[in-house]
Amino acid sequence: MSLIKHLKHHVDQFGLDSKKKEAFSSFIKNGFPTTDNEEWKYTSLKKVINEDYVLSRAEKNTKDSATLEPSIIQKHSLGFNNKIVFHNGLLVDYPIIDGVKISNDVLIEKHEDETSYSLTDLNFSLADSGYSIKIDKNTIVDEPIEILFFNSEKQIFGQYRNNIKIEKGSNVKLIERIIDLSNSRTFINTFTYIKCESNSKLKFYKIQNNHDKSSLIDHTNISQERDSVCGVNTLIFSGGFIRNNLNFKQNGSNCESNMSGISLLDKKQFADNHTFVDHKKANCRSNEMYKGIYLDSSKGVFNGKIMVRKDAQKIDAFQSNNNLLLSNASSIDSKPQLEIYADDVKCSHGCTIGQLDEEALFYMRSRGIGKKEAQAVLTYAFASEVIENISISKLKNFCQHLVAKKLGVNLDFS
Amino acid sequence: MLKIKDLKAGIEETQILKGINLEVKAGEVHAIMGPNGSGKSTLSSVIAGKEEYEVESGEIIFNGEDLLELAPEDRAHKGVFMSFQYPVEIPGISVSNFIKTSISESRKAIGLPPLPTKDLLRMMRDKMELLNINQGYLSRSMNEGFSGGEKKRNEIFQMAMLEPKLSILDETDSGLDIDALRIVANGVNKLKNKHNATVVITHYQRLLEYIIPDFVHVLYDGKIIKSGGKELAIELEERGYEWITKKQ
Repeated sequence: MSLIKHLKHHVDQFGLDSKKKEAFSSFIKNGFPTTDNEEWKYTSLKKVINEDYVLSRAEKNTKDSATLEPSIIQKHSLGFNNKIVFHNGLLVDYPIIDGVKISNDVLIEKHEDETSYSLTDLNFSLADSGYSIKIDKNTIVDEPIEILFFNSEKQIFGQYRNNIKIEKGSNVKLIERIIDLSNSRTFINTFTYIKCESNSKLKFYKIQNNHDKSSLIDHTNISQERDSVCGVNTLIFSGGFIRNNLNFKQNGSNCESNMSGISLLDKKQFADNHTFVDHKKANCRSNEMYKGIYLDSSKGVFNGKIMVRKDAQKIDAFQSNNNLLLSNASSIDSKPQLEIYADDVKCSHGCTIGQLDEEALFYMRSRGIGKKEAQAVLTYAFASEVIENISISKLKNFCQHLVAKKLGVNLDFS
Repeated sequence: MLKIKDLKAGIEETQILKGINLEVKAGEVHAIMGPNGSGKSTLSSVIAGKEEYEVESGEIIFNGEDLLELAPEDRAHKGVFMSFQYPVEIPGISVSNFIKTSISESRKAIGLPPLPTKDLLRMMRDKMELLNINQGYLSRSMNEGFSGGEKKRNEIFQMAMLEPKLSILDETDSGLDIDALRIVANGVNKLKNKHNATVVITHYQRLLEYIIPDFVHVLYDGKIIKSGGKELAIELEERGYEWITKKQ
């Protein structure tokens, strides 16, 4: 049975309320995106949707979820006290922090500015898991909040739906990670809506480091009000199929949107970063820096769209996408997309694709550094602009360790 | 320590070294001089193990071992060091991290544990003092935006840290003003002892006023055509190369 058929069957069996039904019909009408769709030109979902999945716990008919050993949490956590932990869709732990409300109320309403899109429609209609975080106004949360989604159910196709609201003048750092423990073909389609009110500050780190059989589609829509600063850093170290849609809307003046990311892939791994910044108001900034490193037959896609609307004068937008292809079989499709309708703006973009510098490799080897280690040091140097910028030292060290591990060297980059 | 026998090497189809013979013993300083295009840099690159050069025949024996069989890093582990004419800029790696990696990988290769950070830092401080390098320099990206003098000083700093048995200084004086030249030469002289050897490759006699060679060799068209003591360098400075090369 095809996945679409299976989804229909599932909805017939379990039923949906009217709003969800509407969204589901819209999904059915549009279906999964294909490579005919310009936004999915280089990213084929064919293999991902050609698998058999389990669509929900109800369908699986298991009464209680397997327990999650504390040692597993410990193993995958960066060690912060503030931890929101989900296991198989259930919220199993969350911290109590002054001025912070955390729950697992899955959004039952669409956001007013949520554009309809087949995969988010599907997410809306079927999501039964996710977090809601509200930071009260003028709350500064010093320690990062770690969000860990564990899954140990085999062949699951899961929909997570999250909501983050940072009220006026607040400041918070989040680190999110989805960890598949089932070691089976799993497919996660997640949607996160973030509202940054005026004068707020958010740093959001996404660690994507799953096994080769996992597929992930992540939609993150951020709506910013005046004087807010929001940064999303997407750290991809492994995964069979990854697609990130990261969308910023600047609804007030003097907003700053920062996007950065690392894709370090090997074997047949695939990762696609699609970003979109909608500069709607004047005097705003956006900075974008994505670095891709591709080994073996891995493949990357980058698409960075920047829209500067008519009234959005004095915009300063910067975008860069740099790529290292470390094997002949690896590839990257990179596409900047700038649409500028205002006349007093500063927009720049750059894209590079290259290999390691042979001269530098010889230089390092002549200083006693082995070939593999020299390659790793140069590769790390290439990625360092993004990694060294991580202000949370535990996370930075974690990334440095992952780079060394992925490149098969025993080097300490810190 | 180093014995080069009838070495013939080149790049792609072109033969550059046409039969080099050279012997360097511990405690000695040798200078190799010669006009542009005579093969000086090729010789140092072949000794260090640059892969784009092809060795047709001959051998390079270093302390009884055939260097040509070894990868560049293994040659370094045996104690061969080359100071580059054009040190490579490596953005994103700090000088201290580079040296830390270089030392720990070299120690690992000969079965030694990593040097404790405290000892490494003390060693760096001592060697930096020797070369008039200030602390801020350690956190800068490797050679990135360095002046010519800073790059060369960084080369000698690494040499001081790695304590090689054989140091080949490839045109270390190029791009140096007189003060920088003195500092670099002074560093090299202080590192010299009876267990190590230095090969200075240079165009000009100037550097040899500060690093006094025991032997001077003239390399011309891929061959050493004349060898002598330090007075040969002075003669070359006065008369140029023509009086020797014309005889060829």
